[in-house]
Amino acid sequence: MPHMTAFARNQWYVAAYSHEVGREELLGRTVLGEPLVFYRTEEDGTPVALADRCVHRRFPLHEKPSRLDGDKLVCGYHGFTYDTTGTCVYVPGQKRVPRTARVASYPVVEQDSLVWVWIGDPALADADTIPRARHLDSPGWVTVRGMEPIDADYGLLVDNLLDLSHETYLHGGYIGTPEVAETPITTEVDEGAGIVRVSRHMDDAACPPFYAKSTGIEGRITRWQDIEYHAPCLYLLHSRIAPVGVLPEADGSDPNGFHTEITYAITPSADGHVYDFWMVSRDWATEDTEVTEFLRGNNHTVVMQDVDALNLLQRTLGTERAGYQELSINIDTGGLAARRILARLVEEGDKPVEKVL
Amino acid sequence: MSAGPTGEIYRIDWLPGTDTLHGTCHCGREHTAQDPIEMWEWMLAHPQGHEPPASGPQGHEPRGGEPRGTEPRGHRS
Repeated sequence: MPHMTAFARNQWYVAAYSHEVGREELLGRTVLGEPLVFYRTEEDGTPVALADRCVHRRFPLHEKPSRLDGDKLVCGYHGFTYDTTGTCVYVPGQKRVPRTARVASYPVVEQDSLVWVWIGDPALADADTIPRARHLDSPGWVTVRGMEPIDADYGLLVDNLLDLSHETYLHGGYIGTPEVAETPITTEVDEGAGIVRVSRHMDDAACPPFYAKSTGIEGRITRWQDIEYHAPCLYLLHSRIAPVGVLPEADGSDPNGFHTEITYAITPSADGHVYDFWMVSRDWATEDTEVTEFLRGNNHTVVMQDVDALNLLQRTLGTERAGYQELSINIDTGGLAARRILARLVEEGDKPVEKVL
Repeated sequence: MSAGPTGEIYRIDWLPGTDTLHGTCHCGREHTAQDPIEMWEWMLAHPQGHEPPASGPQGHEPRGGEPRGTEPRGHRS
């Protein structure tokens, strides 16, 4: 069995961007091995998530010619029709709808331009525990975004994002410079909240093309990378760059710093497959469409460098014998913390839930 | 993402200019190591190995043991 991280159930996961869920097209996504179909209700546009297999002959409900009839979803194979709760309300040719004719419905929350779905016991779903990424949907911020499916264990993407020293090597000429790998990190774990923080503050670093071309800064920079990983799904990288030596003011304001929020949603799709949702948000040069398009293209290239590397890594690990050796050094302090938190969430998600009667 | 922040914070600083990791448990005990796996093992063993010394000046937090071993250790996946 190649490298495979178990799934953490009873958690919220990003299944889609808001703009991907509509009424024109049914959206199919598989999260933690569960095939789902997404659409919006007619009246208020609330997102709906149902199991993506017709109870009759397992036809994928998101595939044409399945369609919406008002708020109801009509299977494109034999016309079995489901309401937003997944209850079948019509079967062809007979009046009696079997009581077992229903598909599972999933708790969904739309927040910060993301559509979150709860995978696990619906009775435990608490929307208040979803971590926020307000910059994705706030005035004064502009975001470029995309999603790349990766044929790799989601744990490999967590490893990748928690250790940014790889930027120096894999992303040299884009976002990587020698100082990233050379600069020591600080790691903090908030055990109860399931948050791993990894900070790398570079006092005097080369400005990578990603920032030089977008901000116009010439010369060396002060570069801060502050990661906040809300296991299992949401990854925030608070990036600050400024001309070397330029720090925030004593009152906390920072008029000369460029703040970029890099957000990832790491959503396990199936064993060995993960959705890589990537977003880059900025509150500077927000009117400059040239900067927007540059960041979109450049970051897409960076993401594809990761995609190619992780696809290759997964294939390679698949050829290894069980119990292969790996080696961790100081740069891995945050990644190891993330692995451990994930292992705990997996264990908690597998426990039978005690119900209070 | 399971609950609000607890204030139960583990912190590991990689000391600039060295290969040394300096860890601080949420209980306040400190430890140094040159291998993140050893550091996390010490950290998560809390409260084992995090007890105040049986004798010694009160209110003094030990700085942890000397770094043990200079080579990072491998681990199995």
